[in-house]
Amino acid sequence: MKILEATSLAKRFGPVQAVADVSLTVRQGEIAGLLGPNGAGKSTTLHMLLGLVTPDSGTIRMFGLDLARHRTEVLSQVNFSASYLGLPGVLHVREVLDSFARMYGLRQPRERVDEIVELLEIGPLLRRKVIELSSGQQTRIQLAKALLNDPRLLILDEPTAALDPDAGDRIRGLLVRVARESGKALLITSHNMREVERMCDRIHFISGGRIVATGTAAELASDFGVEDLEEVFLKVARQGSIHI
Amino acid sequence: MTVSTNGSAEFAPSLRAGTALAFPPLSFAARRRRVTGVVLRDLAALRRSPVRVFEIIFWPVVELVVWGYVTLFLESQKVPFVVSMLLGAVLLWQVLHRASNEVAIGFLEDIWSRNLLNMHVTPVTPPEYMTGLVLFSLTKIAAGITAMALLAYVIYGFGLLTVGIGLVPFMALLMIMGWALAFVAISCVLRFGEGAQVLAWSLVFVFQPLAGVFYPVSVLPQPLQYIAAFVPATHVFEGMRAVLNGGAIPWDRMAFAGVLDVVYVALALWLYAVTLRHARAKGRLSRFGE
Repeated sequence: MKILEATSLAKRFGPVQAVADVSLTVRQGEIAGLLGPNGAGKSTTLHMLLGLVTPDSGTIRMFGLDLARHRTEVLSQVNFSASYLGLPGVLHVREVLDSFARMYGLRQPRERVDEIVELLEIGPLLRRKVIELSSGQQTRIQLAKALLNDPRLLILDEPTAALDPDAGDRIRGLLVRVARESGKALLITSHNMREVERMCDRIHFISGGRIVATGTAAELASDFGVEDLEEVFLKVARQGSIHI
Repeated sequence: MTVSTNGSAEFAPSLRAGTALAFPPLSFAARRRRVTGVVLRDLAALRRSPVRVFEIIFWPVVELVVWGYVTLFLESQKVPFVVSMLLGAVLLWQVLHRASNEVAIGFLEDIWSRNLLNMHVTPVTPPEYMTGLVLFSLTKIAAGITAMALLAYVIYGFGLLTVGIGLVPFMALLMIMGWALAFVAISCVLRFGEGAQVLAWSLVFVFQPLAGVFYPVSVLPQPLQYIAAFVPATHVFEGMRAVLNGGAIPWDRMAFAGVLDVVYVALALWLYAVTLRHARAKGRLSRFGE
């Protein structure tokens, strides 16, 4: 079952064609990776999928609904976390999560926050101000926020960028289980190729604003005639618009 | 709970199917819950920031003290009616000023904390977001005006309630105009970026000389009087002076001010919708997250 279906997305900012032609799908329970070098169009694509940027052309359907026409219904079933986003710094973690739980229209916001706190083991952080947390702890709070509404599609931009290897590994494990056990779909960007190899069922490579390759990590390595995903990345980054 | 990369550990109950987790997104209950989320977030931010609590009282009190003593001086010079006129004006001006500032600053807080994108990927709609900001601003306006009114009574013996029943429409009309100006300031920030945030503080002052806050509009040059007639606050301050002079509330002027307020709010919301659409089209919204 397709959770996300983006067709022929294009976006130009002045003289820059940020996204030229991106089509991708994410299925229920699938962890999809969106990889590409800096400036390839990853963030613009994600932001189009989240309704933050309006595409010049193309369509985005999630859960069978057109994002442009059913924004509220779609966004109530989606969530997002990115390492570059912040949260209100003066608030206690509990207050941040409580307020976002309400903003997602949850019936029992406090109970849901308690569940997520237990899941992410962030109980000791609840009474601390966001601004006092380390970047790794803030990332965990962002992830907690992103799981509050039990989203059918979770979009993560560099989810473990600010985490140490141990915390990163734990979060990766958690995300994999979220997808496997609850059937959530995940769409992830990352520059950590090992992470992507371990987590993603399918990987979309984007370069020059176009999807230039799609497949599993093994398929992509085979198609490109290289050993692993990192070498695929290097080939895509250095040769630009290779089409497989 | 132990978490491992292969996902084999025992899992907490939070991964149950979440279909009943939320109200239907277009239901009234969901909308009310989302607005509550915005209000509670801002209230929590206020509670956690002593500086902001202090600010609610500080600037209004400074204005009141300065203008209060000016009026006492003028009164000593036998200028009639001056205490009630000027103190009433200072207090009502604060209603307009606070209404405009608090809503605009509520929006700017999301930019300053790099939280704006988080807000825009929630199902909170622009009207719900604005409603949340407006409701929160009511709290701060009420706190600030109450403090000022008490102080005015204690120091100068001026009771705000001497304005009578007219106080209700006066304050309501000024708040609505202030919110409209805040929506315009927010729209300008969306359109022109963070450099335009100075408008959050300054836009309301464009209307101060026109609205005849501290003097009758009749002292303005004729062309400015025509413009002033289309400012809702003008009719409120003229009305206030009429009441404090012992006259009746000019309900016809209040009604006209109400119509102007409706026009102001409609235009401001239209401007916000246009600039938000433009910000999404040009990728400006994304840049607030950088």
